[in-house]
Amino acid sequence: MGTHLHLVRCGRLRQIARMQLIVNGNSHDLDADPQMPLLWALRDLLGLTGTKYGCGIAQCGACTVHMDGMAVRACQIRLADVAGEITTIEGLGTPDDPHPVQAAWIEQQVAQCGYCQSGQIMQAASLLALNADPSDADIDRAMSGNLCRCATYPRIRAAIRSASVRIGAA
Amino acid sequence: MMRLLALLLMTGPVWAEDVMPSIVAPPAEGSVSTADGLAAWDRVQQVVSHPRCANCHVGPDHLPMWSGPEYPEPRPHGMAISGGDSRMGVETLPCATCHITASTLESDPRQAPNAMIPWQLPPVEMAWFGLDGPALCRQLRDPDLNGGRDWVELAEHLRDDASHGGFVAWGFAPGGGREPAPFGLQAHIDDVLKWGAAGQPCPE
Amino acid sequence: MSRAGRIARRGFLIGSVAVAGGVAFGAWRYTRPLADPFAGTDAGALNPYVLIDADGVTLVAPRADKGQGARWLQAALIAEELDIDPATARIVPGPVSATYYNRALIADFMPFAPTDTGWLAETARDAADIPARLLGWQMTGGSSSTADGFDKLRQAGAVARETLKQAAALRHGLDRADLDTADGAVILPDGTRIPYPDLARDAAALEPVTQIVLRDRSQWRWLGKPMARTDVIAKSTGTQVYGIDLSLPDMLHATVRMAPWGGSVARLDPVAAEGLPGVLRVLPITGGVAVLARDTWSAMRAVQALDVAFAAPDTTGDQDAIWAALAATHDAGDIDSRKRDDGDVDAVIGAGDVTAEYRVPFLAHAPLEPMNATVLVTDDACTIWAGTQVPDFAVARAAALTGLPETAIRLENQMIGGSFGRRLEIDFIAQAVEIAMAVPGRPVKLTWSREEDFAHDQPRPAQIARVRGRATDQGVQALDLTVASPSVIASWFGRVSSAPPGPDASITTGAWDQPFAIPNFRVTGLRAPESVPVSSWRSVGASSNGFFFGTAMDEMFAAAGIDPMEGLIGLCSHDPSRAVLEGLRDLSGWTGRDAGQGRGRGVAFCLSFGVPCAQVVEVEQTPQGIRITQAFAVADVGIVLDPVNALAQLSGGMLFGLGHAMNCELTYRGHRPDQTNFHAYEGMRMRQTPQVTVRLLENGPLRGLGEPGVPPAAAALGNAIFAATGQRLRDLPFARGVRFA
Repeated sequence: MGTHLHLVRCGRLRQIARMQLIVNGNSHDLDADPQMPLLWALRDLLGLTGTKYGCGIAQCGACTVHMDGMAVRACQIRLADVAGEITTIEGLGTPDDPHPVQAAWIEQQVAQCGYCQSGQIMQAASLLALNADPSDADIDRAMSGNLCRCATYPRIRAAIRSASVRIGAA
Repeated sequence: MMRLLALLLMTGPVWAEDVMPSIVAPPAEGSVSTADGLAAWDRVQQVVSHPRCANCHVGPDHLPMWSGPEYPEPRPHGMAISGGDSRMGVETLPCATCHITASTLESDPRQAPNAMIPWQLPPVEMAWFGLDGPALCRQLRDPDLNGGRDWVELAEHLRDDASHGGFVAWGFAPGGGREPAPFGLQAHIDDVLKWGAAGQPCPE
Repeated sequence: MSRAGRIARRGFLIGSVAVAGGVAFGAWRYTRPLADPFAGTDAGALNPYVLIDADGVTLVAPRADKGQGARWLQAALIAEELDIDPATARIVPGPVSATYYNRALIADFMPFAPTDTGWLAETARDAADIPARLLGWQMTGGSSSTADGFDKLRQAGAVARETLKQAAALRHGLDRADLDTADGAVILPDGTRIPYPDLARDAAALEPVTQIVLRDRSQWRWLGKPMARTDVIAKSTGTQVYGIDLSLPDMLHATVRMAPWGGSVARLDPVAAEGLPGVLRVLPITGGVAVLARDTWSAMRAVQALDVAFAAPDTTGDQDAIWAALAATHDAGDIDSRKRDDGDVDAVIGAGDVTAEYRVPFLAHAPLEPMNATVLVTDDACTIWAGTQVPDFAVARAAALTGLPETAIRLENQMIGGSFGRRLEIDFIAQAVEIAMAVPGRPVKLTWSREEDFAHDQPRPAQIARVRGRATDQGVQALDLTVASPSVIASWFGRVSSAPPGPDASITTGAWDQPFAIPNFRVTGLRAPESVPVSSWRSVGASSNGFFFGTAMDEMFAAAGIDPMEGLIGLCSHDPSRAVLEGLRDLSGWTGRDAGQGRGRGVAFCLSFGVPCAQVVEVEQTPQGIRITQAFAVADVGIVLDPVNALAQLSGGMLFGLGHAMNCELTYRGHRPDQTNFHAYEGMRMRQTPQVTVRLLENGPLRGLGEPGVPPAAAALGNAIFAATGQRLRDLPFARGVRFA
């Protein structure tokens, strides 16, 4: 692993500790409870609110971020257990310079209420990083942990296929 | 501190201590009667068929199960999660996306089960979810189906896995208010050894 | 300086008002009787739709956007006449500028004002979640205010455009008729472009030009064509701010743990929770306990650690008792409404005819953004930041709680991460006000846990329907449908205002109003006692009546050996509805219930919110269980204003209906549901999502599409399962009767 890391294996102590977190390429020194889930550190301590709280129990996927490129549910990782660089939706791309997956999401006009879409996009980007040309079954399997109450799933499928082409062509 | 952190990182997972200590003290082979061996097996069976253990010992569909006191009846893991051929889900959705590799066995009811090693299904030949006692027994004593282990090695496997916070340790200390596998680790190891010393007898 | 002019045709007023550095155009007091608009007016009496100042053009979209695309569509309606690409304008949800803010504006945003019904009914996709009764819709009669709001926003845009042209004409000594507009600028005959902001001050000094003619559809540049909503960009990049994302200086975080419905706190020991890191205070509030903390997680951890006991609720909150009460309501037979009674069902239906009982469960709204509200209370004011469909009720409640006058309450509506009717409730806003009152001067953001959301949703009610019917080879001869349900309207109004007297037509909406010429057709509503509070759930009464009616029709067609598609088409008495069914028949390639290869197909239809919608669902049996392979939907919304989004609403509504029909119920024990989170309430997920094909028709009146995709889905699925397996499922969710792959 690189030079980043994050603190301190002091998970059993219910107290504030100084921790270093690398998020979207930026290093943050945090004074926080090591038991705090990464989700809430991102949202409440770092102000990165693109990562959403939906269920808190790994059933909806709205809080999906990347840890060293792999999708993880930020509600499930205590700060003490963060073991890699974190990328959130804000770090994946921006309105002016979207990631190919985000560009595909915009092209397909996926979002309705949009609340789940940060997590959907982070999960899809992780899938495509693992498997640049996923089958329909792969897509269904990889994305079934991400709940969309508006049921935008048909367009999510289409956007992932489109992103797969974009990434393949890049 | 940074030097220490860097060292921790470079050396990968570090278990500062034996997470769940146990000892393997095999009785002499043949020193346990068949009846006592069967009685020991009965307790072993209660452990390995407990939902904490059996839910992930699934077959070639790679679909872990949800069963136990929290569920009215056994059902496939929510979201139809598949471990895939890798048994770790890396083809599509890694187990570790939700089952975080943690620094401690402690967990909160809101956390998916987590251990101190990457979450995964056991090898497919070790599938035993739903097997009855005799079939389960025959499977566990068959080296082709138990990871190539004799009875002492089975016990050592339990000890070693638990010592670094693997799934055996998790099964006995699942945290989050989940019901643990019965009897405790040391009793389970002792039962495996008793059963083994009796010649691994299986019920009919 | 404020000015108004009369748009005579609709009897409302479009006017303008000078604001700091520019001009605002909008409707004058349009929810009120049209007395002299200049009597006692001030800037605040204008409900602005267009604001032009040095910063550019701002389009005001006052209707809450909860995923149905309303914010964009409202802006597009204005922009179409204003001649500005809506993607280049700032779109805001309401009056956030103090320049012209006042209490009168908030009143105008309340969606249930009688003269405002057309707005909701006719414009946007904002019809979602509003009980039809409240909107005064005559489902079979057509609204007298048809297209009122559809016109109003475009007229505001047109008045703004013509007034800006007039300003340019005066400045350059030209005739307004010789000027043109394009892309946010007035174009002079010599081609000179004058951007609207450059004309704003001049325009503010003019009488608004109200002699305008709305453009014909053929001239539309954006409406009716594929548009790319700008909020989709924000929602795809994590930059869309929802209410839950707000952060204010010195803000505290809070969460609550409430007693089961109707219960109260019996004992509370705050010590353990107050000792946790990050916790500032444990605070008893009405019906529960709040924790104030430095961050959301610390608050959530603390409410779990609270040593609290709730008073034991009575047994009417147990699911068995609830079903028994519904059955007893049927047995007693006291009629609440009988909105249809054609022919003589009793004379026609006899022994051997179809008899069935259907059950639908409580359903949670469970929008993915948990309930939240941010409130700042000071000595003389209260500000609320929250996503709500009923800002006026929220303001009234905040005034009552704080003792402040309503004029001292300010509400800034937020982009909403889903609602499905949940944000017609103001419980979470009232809690946030109570909590904020304990720490005056500091803003407090209340965020509910998902567990709290399930425990304290006001669900779609559980209902039992009983049906008798007779069909012969000549067709359906009689249908007698009786529905027992607690009253959503009485329950909801009782919470947010006061319950209205009289029957609750929503108990049978989606059944009695269906456009089929069944010679003997009776629909009766029975009002069951309320056990847990109930509320409007996406498509309200039609969410269950679509299932009852659609299943009953299929049972009768099956009994008589009639193809259900041909049977529905043959009985249909409403041209746009028949066109929808015929369109669906063609779109799905309907050849009957048997789709070959072991697959079965079901069809169902429901006219709801004025929109006829029909769906075909196809299923197959697999070793893992029933799998939905394909789903087709056709609906008629009159004019498809935003086609990309409209198709998504139809698809999403159908899938929402299918997911709940398969997988979802709330079962109550002691007024608290057994289901605590999404693991026990899966809804639709990607793995169960079929291939979806949707189409829109434009034969009927202009209508919204947020809800009408939902009602036919459950019946179409149940009918498909019957076609594939021969098993008739009469209780929802279907997972009680079959296994799904």
